[in-house]
Amino acid sequence: MIYTIVYGFSIGAILYFISIGLSLTFGTMRVINFAHTLTYTIGVYALITLVAFLQGYFVLAAILAVFVVIPISYVIERFIIRRLYGESLDYTFIATFAVSLIGVDVIKWIWGVNPYPMKDPIGEYLMFWGLSLPIYRILIVIIAILLFVALNFFFKKTIVGKIVVAALDDKDGVRCLGINVDKYFSIVFILGSALAALGGVLYAPISSIHPYMGLSILLLSFAVVIVGGMGNLKGTFISAFALGMVMSITARYWSQGAETMVFIVMAIVLIFKPIDI
Amino acid sequence: MPLKNAPAKDYGAIGFLVIASGFLLITPILSTHRVTDFMIFCIFAMSFDLLYGYMGRLSFGHMLFLGTGAYGAGLFIKYINGNPLLAILVGIAVAGLLGMLLGLIIVRTTGACFALINLAFNHIGFFLVLSPLREITRGEDGFGVSASKLGFLNLGSRPIMFGFVLLCLLLVFYFLKRLISSPYGIMIRSIKEDETRVRFLGYNTYLYKWLTFVLAGSIAGLAGALTALNYNYVNPNAMDVNSNVGVVFACLIGGAGNLYGALIGGVTYMIISNFLPIYIHRWEMFLGFSLLIITFRFRKGVWGYFQGVWENIVKKKVIGKPIEEGVADL
Repeated sequence: MIYTIVYGFSIGAILYFISIGLSLTFGTMRVINFAHTLTYTIGVYALITLVAFLQGYFVLAAILAVFVVIPISYVIERFIIRRLYGESLDYTFIATFAVSLIGVDVIKWIWGVNPYPMKDPIGEYLMFWGLSLPIYRILIVIIAILLFVALNFFFKKTIVGKIVVAALDDKDGVRCLGINVDKYFSIVFILGSALAALGGVLYAPISSIHPYMGLSILLLSFAVVIVGGMGNLKGTFISAFALGMVMSITARYWSQGAETMVFIVMAIVLIFKPIDI
Repeated sequence: MPLKNAPAKDYGAIGFLVIASGFLLITPILSTHRVTDFMIFCIFAMSFDLLYGYMGRLSFGHMLFLGTGAYGAGLFIKYINGNPLLAILVGIAVAGLLGMLLGLIIVRTTGACFALINLAFNHIGFFLVLSPLREITRGEDGFGVSASKLGFLNLGSRPIMFGFVLLCLLLVFYFLKRLISSPYGIMIRSIKEDETRVRFLGYNTYLYKWLTFVLAGSIAGLAGALTALNYNYVNPNAMDVNSNVGVVFACLIGGAGNLYGALIGGVTYMIISNFLPIYIHRWEMFLGFSLLIITFRFRKGVWGYFQGVWENIVKKKVIGKPIEEGVADL
């Protein structure tokens, strides 16, 4: 049972990393960023190469992999997303989908289609009361909670964060104050993409790695964003962990149905709380 | 073909002739089997166009209904009865029923949310077919479908299948054409323009959206059932989540919101996807770049472009001077 809880929290933490970017980009820019799958996958593949290159310094490789994503996401924001502000959501969706198609094909070009195996970088278990819990999963949960605290600090105390929160509420109002909103949007976009890459980097050792790995995780984190509310930071945090628990409890009784259950929860939420975007 | 009922000013009869002769003309160049496949995809593209082009709801999970139709028809033939016509009806009915159920939830959303929820359900469907229902659907391997002969209607023979699919295509085309020029069609087109206003006028937009969703699902189910009969084979590729981009591409390049556009787009996409991968290895990248170009520069599609050119010519004749000047005078 405790193993189920730890498993659920670690999945929830990964979902939180990925959905926070999705939620922020939607809340500020009104863009559903399908290219999020791409930044996530690029982070993972960069990690593979860097781990092989640095021969085992996992932490350093993980940090570098997150930094690799930053220029790529800036290019996506500058040349694709920025041209689509105020357009219909369909076109932004199609354009970002096209970006992810191109990116996935580039990944297949460079790294090939075959899945990569990757082992747990710590590989040790925490033993107590006759239970064995993988330390790596516990570490993921701790990083997620630290990140939540850090993001809260960022959005409440720093000026950049305050501008972003204000823009979530009223974009035109912020622009009227003479603030260049687009610049802050691109910061938010890059932050979201980097967090997605961080989620990918942390999740890679405990999942399977292949070029299309981003799709199912994007759908899950989209469910998180719908349940938690678009652009709602605290809601995203709570719903990510709640849905992570849903996944792990379902997996305990019916291992194949874990993802399906998340979408069923999302459907129930949509019945009672229709959203209008 | 009930041609005399077609609206006169739409040149209905000519349209049918052009479509039929167009498909017959490309048959000798390509092969009968391939063109049959093209026409099935065109039926699918038209059903998508009803949803996206006319009602303005972009779905990224329309393959779900194609797959449901294919599996419905295939399983019916495999386990119950070999009659192909009944199987097609079952395929349409199953896809329609699924549309009725999912529509209750999906239709509540719009925009990218609509697209992603469809995608999520498509993902679930693909997964269900692949593993929990493995005993019935044979998972990844799929199963063979052999329909029995019905008198002269032997769908195993290529030319008869070709004729049958062409008939289905024309029927669907006629049905959608009539549907779209009816008051119902005007209603869904106004929902695309501004749903709030339509609701202000006192119409229950929810019902109309739901109905359109079910109709689009059923027609996609027809396309799925025909796919199963055409290949004599059903496997999870019929429901593949990543194939959705094909129909979106077809609809956009042909010109969304026009049935001729959907047909042109469907044929274009099928030609590209059948022949380009032979020459270009990085085929998904090509698709991605062309989608980007369409979104930024070519939103009206091929049909919309030629329509614009045609209207320019006609207006120049009427007014006698270029449109820009005419507008400036106003």
